[in-house]
Amino acid sequence: MSLHAQDDANLRAAQEERLRAVWKPPSGWFFRWTDVNNNRVGMWYTLTAFGFMLFAGVLALIMRAQLAVPANDLVTASTFNQLFTLHGSMMMFLFAVPMFEAVSIILLPQLLGARDLPFPRLSAFGYWSFLIGGVFVAGSIFFNVAPDGGWFMYPPFTTRTDLAGLGADIWMLGLSFIEVSSVAAAVELIVGVLKCRPPGMRLNLMPLYAWYILVVAVMILFAFPPLIAGDVLFELERLLGWPFFDPAKGGDPLLWQHLFWIFGHPEVYIVFLPSIALFAMIVPTFSQRHILGYPWIVLAAVGTAFLSFGLWVHHMFATGLPKISLAFFSAASEAVAIPTGVQIFVFIATLWAGRVVFSTPLLYCLGAIAIFVIGGLTGVMVAVAPFDWQAHDTYFIVAHLHYVLIGGTLMPLFGGLYYYWPLITGKKLSDRMGRTAFWILFVGANLTFFPMHITGLLGMPRRVFTYPAELGVDGLNLASTIGSYLFAAGVLVIVIDLALSPKRAKAPRNPWNAGTLEWLAHPDDEDWGIRSVPLIESRYPIWDQRDFVAKVDEGRFFLPDAEEGRRETIITTTLDARPAQVIRLGTPSVIPMITAVALGSVFILTTYHLYWLALGGAVATLAAVLVWLWSTAEIPEKPEKPIGHGIVLPLYRSGPAAPGWWAMFITMLADATAFSGLVFGYYFFWTVHPNFPPSGPGMDGPGAFWPMVAMALTLVSWATTVAARELNARGQVGAARALLSLGLAVTLASLFAGLAGPWFSDLAPKLHVYPAIVWTLAIWTAAHAGVGVICQAYTLARSLAGRMTSEHDADIRNITVYFHFLALTAIVTYATIGLFPSAS
Amino acid sequence: MSRQSAFSTFGVEAAKMRDLTILMTVSGFVIFVIVAVLFTLAIRARRDTIGHRGGMRLVLWAGAMIPTVVLAALLIGTLPAMRPIQANRDALIVDVAGEQFWWRVGYRTPDGGTITAANEVRIPVGRTVDFRLSAGDVIHSFWIPGLAGKVDMIPGRTNRLVARATKAGRYRGQCAEFCGLSHALMAFDVVAMDPAAFDRWLLAQRSAAPAPTTPIAQRGAALFADNGCGGCHAVAGTVAAGKIGPDFSHIATRTTLGAGIIPMSEVNLSRFIAHAPSVKPGARMPAYTHLAPADVATIARYLETLK
Amino acid sequence: MSEEHQNNLAARLRSRRVTLWTLIVPPTVWAVHFMFCYLWVAVSCAKLGGFARFPVAFVIGTIVALAIIIASGAVAFVQSRTPGDPPPHDESTEIDRTRFLATATLLLAGLSVVGVLFTAAPALMLTDCR
Repeated sequence: MSLHAQDDANLRAAQEERLRAVWKPPSGWFFRWTDVNNNRVGMWYTLTAFGFMLFAGVLALIMRAQLAVPANDLVTASTFNQLFTLHGSMMMFLFAVPMFEAVSIILLPQLLGARDLPFPRLSAFGYWSFLIGGVFVAGSIFFNVAPDGGWFMYPPFTTRTDLAGLGADIWMLGLSFIEVSSVAAAVELIVGVLKCRPPGMRLNLMPLYAWYILVVAVMILFAFPPLIAGDVLFELERLLGWPFFDPAKGGDPLLWQHLFWIFGHPEVYIVFLPSIALFAMIVPTFSQRHILGYPWIVLAAVGTAFLSFGLWVHHMFATGLPKISLAFFSAASEAVAIPTGVQIFVFIATLWAGRVVFSTPLLYCLGAIAIFVIGGLTGVMVAVAPFDWQAHDTYFIVAHLHYVLIGGTLMPLFGGLYYYWPLITGKKLSDRMGRTAFWILFVGANLTFFPMHITGLLGMPRRVFTYPAELGVDGLNLASTIGSYLFAAGVLVIVIDLALSPKRAKAPRNPWNAGTLEWLAHPDDEDWGIRSVPLIESRYPIWDQRDFVAKVDEGRFFLPDAEEGRRETIITTTLDARPAQVIRLGTPSVIPMITAVALGSVFILTTYHLYWLALGGAVATLAAVLVWLWSTAEIPEKPEKPIGHGIVLPLYRSGPAAPGWWAMFITMLADATAFSGLVFGYYFFWTVHPNFPPSGPGMDGPGAFWPMVAMALTLVSWATTVAARELNARGQVGAARALLSLGLAVTLASLFAGLAGPWFSDLAPKLHVYPAIVWTLAIWTAAHAGVGVICQAYTLARSLAGRMTSEHDADIRNITVYFHFLALTAIVTYATIGLFPSAS
Repeated sequence: MSRQSAFSTFGVEAAKMRDLTILMTVSGFVIFVIVAVLFTLAIRARRDTIGHRGGMRLVLWAGAMIPTVVLAALLIGTLPAMRPIQANRDALIVDVAGEQFWWRVGYRTPDGGTITAANEVRIPVGRTVDFRLSAGDVIHSFWIPGLAGKVDMIPGRTNRLVARATKAGRYRGQCAEFCGLSHALMAFDVVAMDPAAFDRWLLAQRSAAPAPTTPIAQRGAALFADNGCGGCHAVAGTVAAGKIGPDFSHIATRTTLGAGIIPMSEVNLSRFIAHAPSVKPGARMPAYTHLAPADVATIARYLETLK
Repeated sequence: MSEEHQNNLAARLRSRRVTLWTLIVPPTVWAVHFMFCYLWVAVSCAKLGGFARFPVAFVIGTIVALAIIIASGAVAFVQSRTPGDPPPHDESTEIDRTRFLATATLLLAGLSVVGVLFTAAPALMLTDCR
C-alpha cells in the first residue's frame, strides 16, 4: 500500500465501514454492559468514582454540621465515627485512585494513538470489581455497620472483635477487593504506556501525562501490595485469632502501622501526580508552546515516586520510635519537596515563555496550585518532627491534607474536566458556570480549611465528634462549617453544568488549539478510537507535523483497515517505539463481569463468615479466569499482516516481546511485594522480641528438614518448567509435555512439603505470633505452589489442545515467569522459617 | 488562650516548638508570596520575555537549587531539636496508661512505691518529669499541648516523654489518637505546681482516703460497698480495691469528672453514676438506673468527701 | 591523560546503553541506602540497645552510595552531551532519545545525591537510640 492508495474515497469509506462493524458496541439492555471499549468503560468508571466522591462529600457535610457548635448532638459518636472513617476511606479508595485510573483508561489510548489499551477485558473487570466493592463498602452506612476505626484502621482497636464489629471486616475485605482491581488497572496502564505507543513516539516524545501514568502505575505496584499483606494478617487475626497485632501474644500493633503507611504515603503521591500530569497537558496548551524542561518533569515524577517510599514513618513520628529513625524520614520528607518545587517552576517557566490564553481549565490549574503550595508548605512544616509532635492528629493535619488533596487532586480534576469534556463528549462546558464554580470552590476551600490550622494548634484533636466550648475554637469551627457548605455549593454548580451538557451543541474539533495527539478526537467520535495510527515526530504533533490531522483522518498512516474483522492495535518497542506486532484485542464479553462478581462474592461472603459459600465463589472465580484465559494468546490464522507503508508485522509474539508476558511480570512484581510485606513482618517480630523464635509447646518448629525438602522440590519444579520451555521451543513437544507433567507432580509435592514443617511440629498459630507468622509464610508459599500447579496443568492442556505449539509458546513462557517468582518466594520463605531460627 | 493551646506554653519543649511554629509559618508565608508573584509575572509576561535558556535557569535555580539550600538549612537547623531532654537523676517518674476512655496515673516514689491516681496529672515546676506511657486496651496518645508534643501510648510498649514545666498553672491535655466511641471525651487536667506545694500534695496523696465522718457520707460509703463499686474502683484504706476503673481515693481533689469532661460536682457525680453510658458512650461503666436517685446522690455525697 | 584518551573514554561512555533501567539507577541507590540506614538503626537499637560511636558500616555505606550515584551521573552527563545536531533535542531520533534519558538520569543523580546527604545528616547529629 502506498501513500496514494488512500486517495481513493471509496476505499476509505469501505475501510471505515469495516472498522465501524468491528468496533460496534454491543446492544441490548443487558449486553450493552458487557462492552469493553476503553471509552465506555472509562466513562462508567469516571461517573461511578464521581458519584462516590459526591457521596463521601455529603458525609463530610454531616460531620461539619455536627462540629458547627461545641457540644452538639446532631449525630451520635457512633455515627460520627462511621462518617469520618467512610469519608476518608471512600475519598482515597473509591474516588482518588479509581478516578485517576478511570481518566487514564479514557485518555491513554487517545494520547498514544492506540485503538484501545492492550487488555480491554481487564479494564472491564477492574470496573466491575470497583463497582461491587465500592457499593458494598459505601452501602454499609445505611445499615449502621460502616467501618468506624478511622481510614487507617489501627489495631488493636480494630482487630478486637468486641470493640470493632462487622465494619472492620467490610473495610478490610471490601477494600482489599478494590486494591486488587487497582493493581489490575496498574498492569493495564504500564503495559499500555510501554508497548502501545504509536510508531516514532520514543520515550523522549511521550506525552507527559503518559510519563506520569507510568510512574504512578509502578508506584501502585509497590505501594498497594504491602497493604494487601497487612490486610491478610489483619483478617487472619480477626477471623482466626492469629495474634499478629496482639501484644499479649507477642504481636505488635506497630507492624500494621508500618504496612499501612508504606502503602499510605506513596498513596498521597499516587493521587497527586496524575493531577500534575493534567497540569502538564493543560499548561502548554494555554501557553501555546512546548513545555519547558521536559526531562525535568520526568525527573520530578520519578524522583517523587522514589522518595515517596521513604516517608511512611512521618505518620508515626509520635509512636516513640528512636529519634534517629524518625530523623531519616524527616529528611526524606523534606527532600521530596525538591522535585515538587521543580514541577511547579516548570509550569511557571512555561507560562512565562509562552503567550498565555486565559481559560477556565487554566484558572482551575492556577487556583489548584495556589492551594497546593499552601498544603506543600505546611507539609514541610509537619516533616519537621518536633513541630509534628504538636500538629500530629490535630486539625492542623486535617487542614494540611485537605489543602494537598483539594489543590493536588480535586481542583486539578475539575480543571481536567473542563479541559477534556470536549474530547469525551464533543461539547464544551459553560465557561461562565465553570468560573463561578471555581470562585465558590476557591473561597469555600480556604474558608473551610485555613481556620483549621489554627484550630489544631489551639488544641483540637482530629476525629472528635464534639469539643468543649472552653477550647475557644467555636468561631473557627463555625467558619469551617460555613466554608464547607460553600464548597459544596461550588460542586453543585459543576454538577448542574454537567447535567446541562447533553442539551448543548457540539464544539469544534480541538477547541483549545492543543498540540497533543489526543485532540485528534472528532466531536462525532467513532468507537474505533483513531482512524489510522500515526507516525510521531514531535511532542506536539498537531502543532508541528504538517497535515497531521488530515493524514490521520484519511487513513494515510498505519493500520487504517480491519480486513480480518478483528479489533487490533499496534505494539511497539519500549524505548524507541518501533513497530513490533499487531495484537488482536478482546471483544465485548460477559466474562469480565462474571469474574468480578465471582471474586467479589469471595470477599463479601468471607465478611459474613460464610466460608463454604466463599470457597464456592473462589472455585467459580478460578473457573471464570480459566475460561477467560483460554481465549487469549490465540494462534492467528496467518503469521503476519501489513499495516501500510510496506511494513509487515507479526500477529503472534511470545516472551518479553509480547504484552501478555509483561502483564505476568508486572503482576508478579506486585505479588512479590506483598510477599515481602509478610517477610518484613517476620523480621519485624524478630527485632521487637529479645527471644525470637520463642520456645515452648506449640512454638517449636518447623525445623529445617521439611522446609529444605519443600525448597528443593520447588526448585526442581522450576527447573522442569524452564526445561519444558526450552524443549518446546526446540520442537520436542512430547518431551516438554512429559516434563510439565513431572513438574506438576513435583510442585504439588512441594506444596505439601511446605506445609508439613509447621504441621508436624504442631505449631499453634493462635498461641503466639511466631507460629502464626510461620504458618502464614508457609501457607502463602503453598498457595502459590497451588497456583503453579494450575499454571502447569493449564499449559499442558493448551499444548494438548493445539493452542500452544513450539512456535506459538506464549503460555509456557508466561508461566515460566511465574515460576521464577515462585522459586524466589520459596527460597526466601523456607530459608526464613527453616534456617533463620538456627542462625539467630 | 485556652488551657489546651500549643501557644499557651508552660514547658520548655512546647516553648521551643512554638518558636519553631512561628518561624516556619513566617517563612512559609514569604515563600508563598514569592511563588504567587512569580506566577502572576509569568501569566502577564509576553511571549518569549524569557526564552528557553532563561526559563531553564529559572527552573534550575528557583525550582531546584534554592529549595534544596532552604530545606537543607531547615533539616540541619531542626535536627538538634529532636534530641530529647535528659532525664535528671532526680526526675519525677510518672506512669500514665491510656484506657478507654480515661487515664491511669501513677507517681513513683523514691522508696520504690507508686501512688495511684487518675485523670489528672500534677507536676512540679522546674523539675524534669519522666513520663512512662503505656496503654491498657487500644492505642491512645498523651498530649499536653502547653507542655510538650504528643507521644502515643501503645499496648505492649512503654514510651517515654521527658518534659519540664516552667510555669505553674492549670492546663489541660487530651487523647490525640482515635481510640473509640468516646475518644472526644478523653481529656485530663494538668496542674503544674510550685515544687514545695507539689511535695505536700504528693504526701497527702500517699495517705489513705479520709474515712466518712457525716452520717450521709457513711451511708454513701455503705451504698458504695453494697453496690459493688469497689469491684472496679479503688478507695485506699477500704476494701474497695478494683483496678478496672479510675482510682477514687482522692477523687474530690480533682476539679473535673469523667476524664476532664465535666466539672466536679454532686450533680455531675450523680449523673455519671446513674447514666455513665450516655455521658460517655462506650465507657465500661454500666448505667445504674436501677438505683434510687436518692441513693445515687448519697454515693455522690460520699465521693465528694474523698479529698 | 591525553586528549585522545579522553575522547576514547567519552566515546566508550556514550556507547553504553541507556534504558529505563539505567534511568532509575541513582534513585534506586538512594532507596537502598535509605533502607540500609533505617534497618541498621532499627536492628542495632532493638538488638544491641545502641550503635557504635563511629559507625563504620554507615560511613562506608554512604560513601559507596554516593560513589555509585556520582558515577552514573557522570556517565549520564557525558551521554547527555553527545555531540551532533544543534538543540533543542526533541526529535524522534535515537540520539535525542539517548540524550533525553541521559539528562533525566543526570538530574535524578543530582536529586539522589541530595537525598543521600539528607539521609546521612541525622546519623551525624543524633547519636543514640532515644
